[in-house]
Amino acid sequence: MNDQEVLAVMTRVLRDVLDDPSITLDMQTVRADVPDWDSFKYVTFIVAAEIELGIKFGIADVESFVTVGDIVAKARSLLG
Amino acid sequence: MLFNSYEFIFGFLPVTVVFFFIAGTRSPRLALAWLTVASLFFYAWWRPVNVLIIGPSLAVNYIIARTLLGMSTGGRQPAGARWLLAVGIVFNLAFLGYFKYANFAATVYTDLTGTRFLLEQVILPLGISFITFQKIAFLVDVHSQRIKSFSFGDYCLFVLFFPQLIAGPIVHYREMMPQFHAATCRPNGTDLAVGMTLFVIGLFKKVVLADGVAAYVTPVFAAAASGESVSMFPAWIAAIGFTLQIYFDFSGYSDMALGLARLFGVRLPVNFDSPLKARSIIDFWLRWHITLTRFLTAYIYNPLVMSLTRRRLTRRLPVLGGRQHSPGAFVQLLAGPTLITMLISGAWHGAGYMFILWGLMHGLYLIVNHGWRIYGAPRFAAPGAAGPLWRSGAFLLTFLAVVAAMVVFRAPTPDSAMEIFRGMVGGSGVSLPPHVVARLPSLAGSLSTLSVSSGELERTLVPAFAWIGSLLVIALALPNSLQFTARFEPAIAFKPGPSILPLLRAQALWRPTVPWAAAVVVLAAAVIIRIGGKSEFLYWQF
Repeated sequence: MNDQEVLAVMTRVLRDVLDDPSITLDMQTVRADVPDWDSFKYVTFIVAAEIELGIKFGIADVESFVTVGDIVAKARSLLG
Repeated sequence: MLFNSYEFIFGFLPVTVVFFFIAGTRSPRLALAWLTVASLFFYAWWRPVNVLIIGPSLAVNYIIARTLLGMSTGGRQPAGARWLLAVGIVFNLAFLGYFKYANFAATVYTDLTGTRFLLEQVILPLGISFITFQKIAFLVDVHSQRIKSFSFGDYCLFVLFFPQLIAGPIVHYREMMPQFHAATCRPNGTDLAVGMTLFVIGLFKKVVLADGVAAYVTPVFAAAASGESVSMFPAWIAAIGFTLQIYFDFSGYSDMALGLARLFGVRLPVNFDSPLKARSIIDFWLRWHITLTRFLTAYIYNPLVMSLTRRRLTRRLPVLGGRQHSPGAFVQLLAGPTLITMLISGAWHGAGYMFILWGLMHGLYLIVNHGWRIYGAPRFAAPGAAGPLWRSGAFLLTFLAVVAAMVVFRAPTPDSAMEIFRGMVGGSGVSLPPHVVARLPSLAGSLSTLSVSSGELERTLVPAFAWIGSLLVIALALPNSLQFTARFEPAIAFKPGPSILPLLRAQALWRPTVPWAAAVVVLAAAVIIRIGGKSEFLYWQF
């Protein structure tokens, strides 16, 4: 998968988690940019994305992600 | 060696700083090696045997980290690396467990079974709780390949760096080591000025403010512990006074740590951001002992919630998402992990029932706070929620909740905590000293429950209230030390929030100028004449 494909999956998962079909993500998006994306829904999003992509983030990763781009990059490195 | 001791301020610190800069003229590597050796000396000063205890633990962690580093290939870690990480974490927890909890475990065993279980008193090595957490974070970072290389020297300096060795802030390798590697190890006027200022502010908070109010707090808790009843005013003095004492003690220590690190050109993370100004318990924990909250969230709370969320998602059960949370998801994914995390936080603070009870109280507070945000606030709080009356109420409720938990944190036994609570709600009467009643004859007549007491605790009521009033003003109305020095990035990525009071305009913030230097010297003088007795930091015991 390339960046755009992973980003598309992330967007779909976050729309599901937040129940908001209007959300759009790009590589620079941070959590504060998305209304209602609190720390609980962040964890839900991470796990839902893991399941969707068939990967597992490390606990240190989850804490370190700042932008959606960071998540996409790590996901791609785990996808191999 | 205490930061607030003559041997530290006039001996260890100047020698360490001067030789650091002298070595820096030769090479930064030499200067950093000197800093490591000086830090080891600092740690050994108290009880040299501590080095023998902590040394093998450092060696084992180094070997595990090196092995983990060797196992990593590309993006993925082999399964063996996961096991090795687990072994490392268990080793550190067992190490902490033996030194910190062996005695407590024996007490619990005795209490539960009635059989006396004799154990030789285990001595707690200084700072072991902080050192252990930091090493666990280090191993996790190496395993996750966020640390890609490190030398033995780097590792030792990271683990031993004396400003934050004993009581935090709890730092990550990745935020410290790039700074050490970039350090010029030459004197820098701004760094020295900011560092000295923060150090002196912290020293003042500890030696003058925290130790000053402690004089009124300690006798009340001692009286309650010995079974005496405590009347209303002394009970409130003890409860609020201790809250202020521990705040100024620990945030003072953190300021000193930040200041000391800055002398060497290094910034530490923010640890306190005016927590007593918080208007909710959630907010309180984002401002109080921030690096501990960060550690517990990253390494206990998040992993717990992630694994539970994973289980619920694969079973197609509702999780925390959308606009409303199902009660099942709230209980399992929010309330449960919050309670567990705060119980662990309580036990981390100290091996004893009271600390665990304190953790339990804060866990329940947080659950109520989250529950209110999710279920209550959208329904009941929409109109007027931002008004001053609402905000004051939220502040007061938060403050009282924190104070009540602090009573439990400080009291040695449940009975003595209950004695203070009974006093606070008026269950042990309201007494004033004779000299106050003599000046307020009308008051004596209007309060039927008021009694006159020339007891020891009542005798000092007036100065005690003056102390607490002044400290409340400092904690609640003034900018904190980091906001005060905000122009010079006093902590890693510190951005002063909008909470800086408008009355303190930009020109009132600290700068390296002669008038400000004079003010700092006055503070320092106030400290120096008071240092005498040995007054330990409250958090050094943890």
